[in-house]
Amino acid sequence: MKHPLIAVLLFCASTGAAVAQEPQEPTPSNLSDLFSEANTAAQRGMLPEATQRYAELLEAGVRDPDVYFNLATALAKAGDYPGAILNFERALVLRPGDSKAAQNLADAEAALEESRAEAEGEASIRRSSAVGDAIYQPFTDNGLAMAVAVANFLLFAVLGWAWVRRRRGRLFYSLLAASALVLLWSAVGLGVKSDLFRDGPRVVVLGDRVPILEGPDPRASVRGEARGADRGVLLDQDGDFVKLRVIGGEEGWVAAQAVGTIAPNVRAD
Amino acid sequence: MKRLGIVLCVAMLAWPAHANTADAEPEVSVSLEATPRKVRVGDTFSLEVRASVKGGGLESVRLEDLRKYPELEVVSHQTSRPTQISFGFGSGMQVESSVSHLYAMRPLAPGTYTFSPAVATIDGKDYESQGLTIEVVGAAVDFGDPRGEPPDDDELTGARYDPDSFVRTVVEPTTAFLGQQVDVSVYLYARVGVVTRTVSPTKLSMDGFWVYDEQVQNLQSDVVTVNGTRFQRFLLQRSAAFPQRTGTLTVGAPKVTFDGGGRSIFDPARRIERSGVAVEVEVEPLPPPGPSDAYVGNIELTASIDRPEVDTGDAVTLRIQSAGAGNTQDLRIELPTIPGVRALQPAIQDQRRFSGDTMGGVRTWEWILIADQPGKHVVPPISIPYFDPKIKKYGTATTNLVAFKAEGSAAPKPTLPSSPSVAPPRPDETQFGPIRVYSALSRGSAPLRKRAWFPWLLAFPPFAFLLLTVAVGFSRRRGRDRSSAEAVQRERLAAAKKALRDQDPRGFYDAVVDTLIHAVETRTNDPVRGLPNTDLRSRLAEAGFDEDLIGRVINELDGADFARFAASGVDGQEMSRCLERVETILERIRRLGGRAS
Repeated sequence: MKHPLIAVLLFCASTGAAVAQEPQEPTPSNLSDLFSEANTAAQRGMLPEATQRYAELLEAGVRDPDVYFNLATALAKAGDYPGAILNFERALVLRPGDSKAAQNLADAEAALEESRAEAEGEASIRRSSAVGDAIYQPFTDNGLAMAVAVANFLLFAVLGWAWVRRRRGRLFYSLLAASALVLLWSAVGLGVKSDLFRDGPRVVVLGDRVPILEGPDPRASVRGEARGADRGVLLDQDGDFVKLRVIGGEEGWVAAQAVGTIAPNVRAD
Repeated sequence: MKRLGIVLCVAMLAWPAHANTADAEPEVSVSLEATPRKVRVGDTFSLEVRASVKGGGLESVRLEDLRKYPELEVVSHQTSRPTQISFGFGSGMQVESSVSHLYAMRPLAPGTYTFSPAVATIDGKDYESQGLTIEVVGAAVDFGDPRGEPPDDDELTGARYDPDSFVRTVVEPTTAFLGQQVDVSVYLYARVGVVTRTVSPTKLSMDGFWVYDEQVQNLQSDVVTVNGTRFQRFLLQRSAAFPQRTGTLTVGAPKVTFDGGGRSIFDPARRIERSGVAVEVEVEPLPPPGPSDAYVGNIELTASIDRPEVDTGDAVTLRIQSAGAGNTQDLRIELPTIPGVRALQPAIQDQRRFSGDTMGGVRTWEWILIADQPGKHVVPPISIPYFDPKIKKYGTATTNLVAFKAEGSAAPKPTLPSSPSVAPPRPDETQFGPIRVYSALSRGSAPLRKRAWFPWLLAFPPFAFLLLTVAVGFSRRRGRDRSSAEAVQRERLAAAKKALRDQDPRGFYDAVVDTLIHAVETRTNDPVRGLPNTDLRSRLAEAGFDEDLIGRVINELDGADFARFAASGVDGQEMSRCLERVETILERIRRLGGRAS
């Protein structure tokens, strides 16, 4: 009778220990604590620690524009302008109307160009110049998806109404044209946001003077180099290398950790 | 709008910079270069005319002597006009415009050809480059007639022979000096038909080499004879490899796959894979007594400066260009210290090109030199030792001596920017703050377009519209059928009424019978005219008529038939009552509802 009791106690103890040793998923409360710790570190000027804390939040699955904004701000203050530019871009993807993030992005680019110009005499950053990006920049992915759904519904509702009522007056044609235009416009926007018209997701080069290689091998010959904050498109991945096309046309393989994907839900590394 | 705002801001920042520099002398650089300067007849050389200006408007660039020599054929011409916006050492934003004309030229006769300087007109003022002399020697190399008898390539090295097809690596030379160019070409020899778009060679492994691949855009072939057999030969890859260490280096075995055959029923189409053999290259160190780090190749160095005179504190651009054969990207130059002058990090540009079998190129360094002290500043000649593997001799390439003069006393460094519009404020760390202390800490979620239900949401409206279209169409068709039947009956009743008015009993009863028959047939979907009463009764019962209605229909039909043949005994009142009865019957038939099965 004594032995079964000991066995049950041992089982409970071991189960409790095992539960205690399991890594805990971050909960909303400790995510909030982590965010507060990161902010405190940033405000005290402890930028590496702040950056580390914000990165932990992202690793825990947080995809919040304010976290990206704070991370980018900490990186910019630490002088890591390419990293700051990447995270300001991510913040703008999640919240396109964030004027402060847009301003900081422009400031970070200007700071990087100026520091390079001081060292090298001249500087430029290769940025995206696609018209589609400029047109649809203020709109979110989900906003455009909703616009597609609503315009699609409206278009067929108008067609159905006209079919049933056999009325095709001025109102019908106005509603039909308006819903068709909105549908076309939002569908093209959704295509732009989902990289449908590109060969791959947009990336930002993080390291400076990143060698662009002929192949996915460190021994491959060097084709050119990409500078920090240059924008490009991710074409392919092979092991620790990604195939990159820098804005301007140069194409080749670079180390995967030397670029960061702008879309927050996609990871290049 | 936001982008428009940024563009306007940039324009506003740029305008004062122009305005301030409008009175100042623009920074102008005009150059005329040829690579190489000594060529053989038939070889191609490049002639580049380049003008760049900062702080001025570039109007035109002219090279008067371009068409002076009919013996120099212009093979191609390429123009580029890059415009660059730069931030430079406190002078704010500067716009640099440049024009470059690159001519590929082929001499047709030997001789010495002298070009007068190129002239660039900037804001109405002419600026000249240096002159240039091209020396053309020798006769054209005879490459043979490709349409003649194919050469017998009996000495087959670098290949594993196969009578159908094989891959061959040609390495030339197989004994080279450290840094010397080694040409590596990979060929596919085939006697079977080759579908060229399917040819897929693997990349050669060339450890220990610095490799430049020449782009092979389209597979070209010629015919060669190997061991007495004619093969079609395709060039798959061509590279210039520069050994980086001494000893035995290996060019890996090539491998290629392609779709071959299919020319006849005896030669079926198939996927073919062929592997070649590795080729070894013996690499020797550079021979004594020269420097071991000498550049391997043959180069010329030129130095130029964009302005001979500047104000103290202002900057000039020193440009050193090396051009020639070899791996010019391997060249390194250390600018010696120039007293009273501060040099910024150089901007380096490289151009590579194949000239025949030899790879060469141009490497250009551009230093910004800031004269901190007044006086004459001299850039001493810079030398690079080189070893020419063709003649196995050392030489030294040296730049010409260049100098510039700085006038005026050194300007004190401003403690504050003179105008914020001229020098845009550099963002400091306070400009990036403050951080945000509130956040929803929202987690990443898939966008709506990636949700599984989103395609269904989009498909629902067209699908519903399709269903609606079918349903409404079906309903309308039914309604149309019914209404058309009623219209016929109304028409026939109208004919009966007219006959009543005309006191035409025969016509009246004919119309009554037609109306009733039509109404019954519409209901039963079968012809009933001429049926005996027993059959008609059973048909009507099947069609849902009740006994009373059946009796009324049959009585009315019988009565009408009788009256048609005894029309003289019928009076108008009887016809009126008959008409009312028929209308009642029709109404009852109509109320029976849907069509009978």
